[in-house]
Amino acid sequence: MAPFGAALVVVLASGIAVLAARWLPLAVGASPTAPERVPFLGGGLPEVHAWSRFHIRYYAMALLFLAFDMEMVFMYPWAVVFVEEGVIALVEMLMFIAILLLGILYAWREGALSWAS
Amino acid sequence: VGLLIAAAGRADVPVFPVVGAGGREAADELVLLPGVRVVDSPRAAILLVIVGRLTRALLHPTLVVHDQLPGPRATLWWPVAGPDHEGLLAALPDVVTADPGDAGLLREVFVDLLNGRRPSDPPSLPDIDANKWRGVGPYGHGGEGMMGGVPYGRPMAMQASDPDGLMLDQLPLHVGPLFPALPPGLVLHLGLQGDVIRGLAVGDNPYRSWPGDPPLGPLDSAPFVDALTSPTTVAALEIARARHHLVWLARTLRLHGLEARGRRVLALARSLTPADRPAVEGLARRIGRDRGLATATSGVGVIDQARLEALGVLAGGPVVRAAGAGIDTRTSDPAYADLGFVPIVHSPGDGRARLRQRVAEAAQALALAERAGDRERAPGWPVEGPRGALAPGQALPSAALAAMVPELVDGMEWGDAVTTIASLDLDLEEAAFAPAPVHAGVPAGTGGPDDGGSHGHRDQQATS
Repeated sequence: MAPFGAALVVVLASGIAVLAARWLPLAVGASPTAPERVPFLGGGLPEVHAWSRFHIRYYAMALLFLAFDMEMVFMYPWAVVFVEEGVIALVEMLMFIAILLLGILYAWREGALSWAS
Repeated sequence: VGLLIAAAGRADVPVFPVVGAGGREAADELVLLPGVRVVDSPRAAILLVIVGRLTRALLHPTLVVHDQLPGPRATLWWPVAGPDHEGLLAALPDVVTADPGDAGLLREVFVDLLNGRRPSDPPSLPDIDANKWRGVGPYGHGGEGMMGGVPYGRPMAMQASDPDGLMLDQLPLHVGPLFPALPPGLVLHLGLQGDVIRGLAVGDNPYRSWPGDPPLGPLDSAPFVDALTSPTTVAALEIARARHHLVWLARTLRLHGLEARGRRVLALARSLTPADRPAVEGLARRIGRDRGLATATSGVGVIDQARLEALGVLAGGPVVRAAGAGIDTRTSDPAYADLGFVPIVHSPGDGRARLRQRVAEAAQALALAERAGDRERAPGWPVEGPRGALAPGQALPSAALAAMVPELVDGMEWGDAVTTIASLDLDLEEAAFAPAPVHAGVPAGTGGPDDGGSHGHRDQQATS
């Protein structure tokens, strides 16, 4: 029980700290007025809510990263059998990397890696 | 707690500047004051410092920014350009009038705010939501229906097509006139999809003056405007040019996040003499080699000669010369005849070319000042100002440069747009400045519009 007692104290203390941090500003600070809450635009006022759907321009990079990440995962079992299989394993892996690289070159040529068109 | 307040009182005073008419140079002073930190957002500031004269168009933005200081907060006023015309400052609660450059008073107000001797400024605008939202809709936050309602008081953005063929939300924004990354006074009405600008118009110039207003200025190009009508020395003109370009460089370095370098360049600009030529030449070499600045400005905001011709802006100035056209009125000015003056040009007219152009011209100007000695320059010839040629009775070059902005930055990413606008060296006050009418006896000095005659034509663009 002793180790759990210490954990319980930490959980309780952190819970109280979070609640205090939530409650203290409400208790002591004046709540901001409507003009105080608006985002800073250099003196301009926003017309619309800033909650908007925008283009995640890094998605092409993210997909490419995932492809090469999975390739690395595949290389671990390959490294285990590499010594047994010899040159055939090396050639197979090179073919696999070459196919992925062709994909990247194609995406590059098509302009998929440029940030904004 | 007392110890904590004492320690906090010794920290740098976070200040957000509001640049009024005639206040741009003094606002730079604020950057150089010891113990003062000029911040980029009112959220990080304790003191709001109004530098120069507020105009009617600047009053409401100033009140908005004032209320965005989280508090404790206080407002100070540096009256560098005459008294508070029309008593506009009365709209702000408890403004402290201070001598320009008085860091001691800034600190005093700051410490008084921290230890409670001085109460925080109350809000200056009424506490009214843009739309009624409390308790509206199924969750009580204003959101309801197909269109999203008015969550927390404002409607949702409408969709528009994206360059990639997607239908995505487009935020209509009104940025400025007090946005620190833009020249003071510039108002942009723009649509923003993610970080890409989709449709942009420049808003009304808040420095535009009406009959009866006090004169604008002092303009940063005042020595050049004065040289149109009164004799001066070539050396004085060239030192003013070098100083102008270095001040621009200091602001640009600050914009790119190189604040300490910006401060050093500004300090150099303030006490500039022809003997500083080696320092400025070294600066030009370092700026040319700087990889970070090169990445941020290369290929950004390209203004080539074809574009300049299409826009009808070919009256000299660093923007034109950075596009490869060696147009400079100094080549035909008799005062420069045997000084060996050859215009410097750069290409291909992008942000980097303009950066290198201005620093190279600053070094060249100091060399010319050295060679010219105490040679006089007679009025009557067009003057090559720091932004382009000046001629009697003509609008100053900032008006034409500001007119280029919408076409130039539409479709850019926001960061590139800010870099491009900074590289134009706009001064909205100069753009609003009416040229004195050309007739005998009236000096085209730093005075404002003296009668109604010259009003109207130089309002550079309308709000669309």
